[in-house]
Amino acid sequence: MSKYLDKSIVEIHQLLKKKEIYPIDLVEEAFNRIEKNKDLNCFITLNKEKALKEAKELENLEVDNLLFGIPIAIKDNISTKGLKTTCASKMLENYEPIFDATVVQKIKDKHMIIIGKTNMDEFAMGSTSRTSYFGAPKNPWNKKKITGGSSGGSAACIASRMVPLALGSDTGGSIRQPASYTGIVGMKPTYGRISRYGLVAFASSLDQIGPMTRDVYENALLLNELVGRDSNDLTSAWREEEDFTRLIGKDIKKMKIAVPNYFISDIVNLEIREKISDMITLLKENGATVDFIDIDYIENAVTLYQIIAMGEASSNLARFDGIKFGYSIPNPESLEDLYRKTRAEGFGKEVKRRIMVGSYLLSGENAVTYYNKALQIRDDIRKSFQKAFESYDLIIGPTTTTIAYNLDQDIDDPIKSFLDDVLVIPVNMAGLPGMNVPIGFSSYQMPIGLHIIGNSFEEAKMYQLASWIEKKLNLDLIPKEGESHES
Amino acid sequence: MKEKLELCEVEHVANLARIELTEEEKDQYAIDLKKLLNEVEKISEIKNYDEELLITPVEHTVSLRKDENKRTISFNEIKKNIPKSSGNFVEVPVMLHE
Amino acid sequence: MNRDYQVTAGAEVHCELKSKTKMFSDSYNNYGTMANTNINEIDFAYPGTLPTVNGYAVELALKASLALNCKINKKMHFDRKNYFYPDLPKGYQITQARSPIGTDGYLEIEIDGITKKIGIHDIHIEEDTSKSTHYKEKSFLDFNRNGVPLIEIVSEPDIKSDKEMVAYLEKLRETLLYLNVSDCKIEEGSMRCDVNVSVSKTETLGTRTETKNVGSIHSAGMVVLVEAKRQIEELEKGNKIQEETRRYDEKENKTTLMRIKEVGNDYRYFPEPDIPFLILEDSEIERVRENLEVLPDARRKTYLEKGISLGNANKLIQNKQLSDFLLNLEDIDLVIASNLLLGDISAYLNKTEKTLKETKLTQEKLKDLVKKLSSGEITNKVFKEILTELMETEFSVQEIISSKGIETINDKSYLIEIVNKIIEGNKNSVDDYKSGKDRAIKYLMGQIMKETKGSANPSLVNQLLLEELSKR
Repeated sequence: MSKYLDKSIVEIHQLLKKKEIYPIDLVEEAFNRIEKNKDLNCFITLNKEKALKEAKELENLEVDNLLFGIPIAIKDNISTKGLKTTCASKMLENYEPIFDATVVQKIKDKHMIIIGKTNMDEFAMGSTSRTSYFGAPKNPWNKKKITGGSSGGSAACIASRMVPLALGSDTGGSIRQPASYTGIVGMKPTYGRISRYGLVAFASSLDQIGPMTRDVYENALLLNELVGRDSNDLTSAWREEEDFTRLIGKDIKKMKIAVPNYFISDIVNLEIREKISDMITLLKENGATVDFIDIDYIENAVTLYQIIAMGEASSNLARFDGIKFGYSIPNPESLEDLYRKTRAEGFGKEVKRRIMVGSYLLSGENAVTYYNKALQIRDDIRKSFQKAFESYDLIIGPTTTTIAYNLDQDIDDPIKSFLDDVLVIPVNMAGLPGMNVPIGFSSYQMPIGLHIIGNSFEEAKMYQLASWIEKKLNLDLIPKEGESHES
Repeated sequence: MKEKLELCEVEHVANLARIELTEEEKDQYAIDLKKLLNEVEKISEIKNYDEELLITPVEHTVSLRKDENKRTISFNEIKKNIPKSSGNFVEVPVMLHE
Repeated sequence: MNRDYQVTAGAEVHCELKSKTKMFSDSYNNYGTMANTNINEIDFAYPGTLPTVNGYAVELALKASLALNCKINKKMHFDRKNYFYPDLPKGYQITQARSPIGTDGYLEIEIDGITKKIGIHDIHIEEDTSKSTHYKEKSFLDFNRNGVPLIEIVSEPDIKSDKEMVAYLEKLRETLLYLNVSDCKIEEGSMRCDVNVSVSKTETLGTRTETKNVGSIHSAGMVVLVEAKRQIEELEKGNKIQEETRRYDEKENKTTLMRIKEVGNDYRYFPEPDIPFLILEDSEIERVRENLEVLPDARRKTYLEKGISLGNANKLIQNKQLSDFLLNLEDIDLVIASNLLLGDISAYLNKTEKTLKETKLTQEKLKDLVKKLSSGEITNKVFKEILTELMETEFSVQEIISSKGIETINDKSYLIEIVNKIIEGNKNSVDDYKSGKDRAIKYLMGQIMKETKGSANPSLVNQLLLEELSKR
């Protein structure tokens, strides 16, 4: 069996250019790998027929860019015209969008081939992908473990090398945390970097789409194609065009790095803390400055996140009412009956919890005591990060407090999903870019990741550090079956 | 701190969210929602903060759209997604008041 | 009515803005067409869609705010008003709760010659809901109206009588029409009016009721009257007034209860995160202010100064196309011009069911016409004869006169004959002239024109008449 999909994108590109292989070879191999790893439950919908057809059509076109013909997986909360977009919810089980998200349009313009829609937490609400209506995806490093979430399907299909590229979305760590649990590179860019048009909103002021890939360089390549101001999204930002790979390979001497004390406090698993400590030593040995700092309000981020994310979600998900699209109960007795039963049956437990709490937080006086206050402190968090970036190039720490845990652990604990993301959430609160890069393994061979946080729109600098680490560590990041030791 | 919400509190939030709950569900949510609310209650402990709000973390302001039509879709295109339609209309059980 | 009570009323008026596309989506703002044809994925609240802000609609709202003397909010934000209803596809309405575009304005009304200011609490921008129709146990939704730009104009409770309510609403309607901000057609729903009424014996305002969607300006006045009466009767019976929503029944001339207000209607307002701050630059505000249409009050003032009667001035204002036609024509005789427009030209427009714009009459032609009439070069009779050609052809006044063969008589010898005939027949007038009464000339002129059936060249006649008179 061919192993083209184990090659780097640059190598694949060369083969395509020389016409030694064709896009159809890549697409067929991707579907074979998906079929072989079906039990990982990475995909909700496959786009097989159309992908094969498109691959065939591409044979007539010039291979005009590095990502031409490369298979890509899309998280199932990103709108794809004519291809089901379920958000892993019964509510949208049969929903077929009539428009492409702006990022999907960009992907099609560059002739990447959409392989399918990946599994996730229902409406991206969760940290393990277990709230999916279609069952949880499994971690390729150990099938008993969670992939993390909410972009668990995208993370697992990259980690298991089914496809080289995937899109995720990150509201409170949903790209970085599963990337860490599965040993891949995941970037949540600056808020406003990528258009959200077509991303099914969970919490509008926090959501951001981002690339998930096998390595740092390919991550930057994909980001190059996703960014840009979109007139359909007023929160997307005008920026000069830039090449995110441009600092890759540059030395990190004199780079000034900060580690917030909170990120290495005892909320973090000891094994992870040791890995971070090793990393700090490595960076210092190679000429970087590393200081430990305090960032005000950072320990409050989760509380603010709960209020803002649930508040916005309760409003964003009001459109699912059984009237215009999606699930609708048969033969409602009245309008109220239609609303209440459709939403009761169409949403899962986690989603309902968040909508109810969010509605409560915005009702009456609560809008002031909780919501308004959260927005006020959110501004302070952003400012304290800005202050840190006056003195430092980058901030680092662990991406997660724990290593991927068992699929049956803490199911239905309403708090756990927030606490899993305690280290990644502050970044969304401040709208900053954050990424995960693998830095090693636990004693049971589960991946551990480093979290790199940059100043607004300084993704290139983050890639510089991440690629330096990647090269220095040279880890083997392809999961081997049966190597896990923990039961 | 209390362990669970009063039943009427659960019913109130379920009503705000337009979600029907069975009696067993109400009992479960009384506990789950209380856990979440205890979490968000931590905000009351935060002192010393600025008045300014952060609504969306962007630096730029709105660029206004020109008054021009770009997209119009036909009803047929979306009809397949509408649970109940009648002719060119979307149909719902009768609305009680204007 | 019991004179111990002070009636206090306010109005909340929604007006649809005259933009080409919707407020937060770029589908057409035109809901008179077949159901669900002016829609797109944004109007249907498809998952993943986001709002954009129509700059022209913002400009119209700014115009209204400036014309109503409001303070302009230079840093605006939008808010979400959350509630479940089928005509609200997103489950929330985008509106401005915290930072309306205009605040603290006023509108001047005139009652029995006395001017009074009615305060404007605020003007905010929002989007309209879908239209629903009901049949038996079902409702049917048309999303064409969904997202149509609206401004809501909230008055202060400064209105003290039905007369003031009517004057306020008429003035508001007139102003917005003149600004080209809205069609303001209550019957068609492009202007909607809710009337708040309370009564009190003391300085403190009483509990108010809100009467929704009143069908005409006249009815709004009636609501103030009948609702105040009802409330006073209730209070006199020892009952309390409930904060409630009512409906006005035009046939019965009374209000009926729609629903008791829920305790603090829970709309769960919060700032709309999909739209960053909207900044209005001073230069932009000034540009709009400088280009504001001349408002009815200013026009009325000009008309009166130019000698037009109050009655005709008001008639012109009521017919905006006529009033607009007179803009920048201040140097001609506006009395003649307004008589033409309100008289034969209006009759022509009514008969042919045309608007002025649909005719060939230009401001240039009108100017020419008025000059010729005032100099006596042509007569009113001639004007009546050439009206159709004036309205329906591109020809100039002179060209029409020539082509119709109603060329003025310029034959000197022929005219001298007539002049002398008239002089002979009107000895008294000649004597008057001699004794310095200039009016006599006018009379003699008139007699000559009459003799020539109005086709003599008046300036030539004038010259000849003076010459002949000087000989005697």
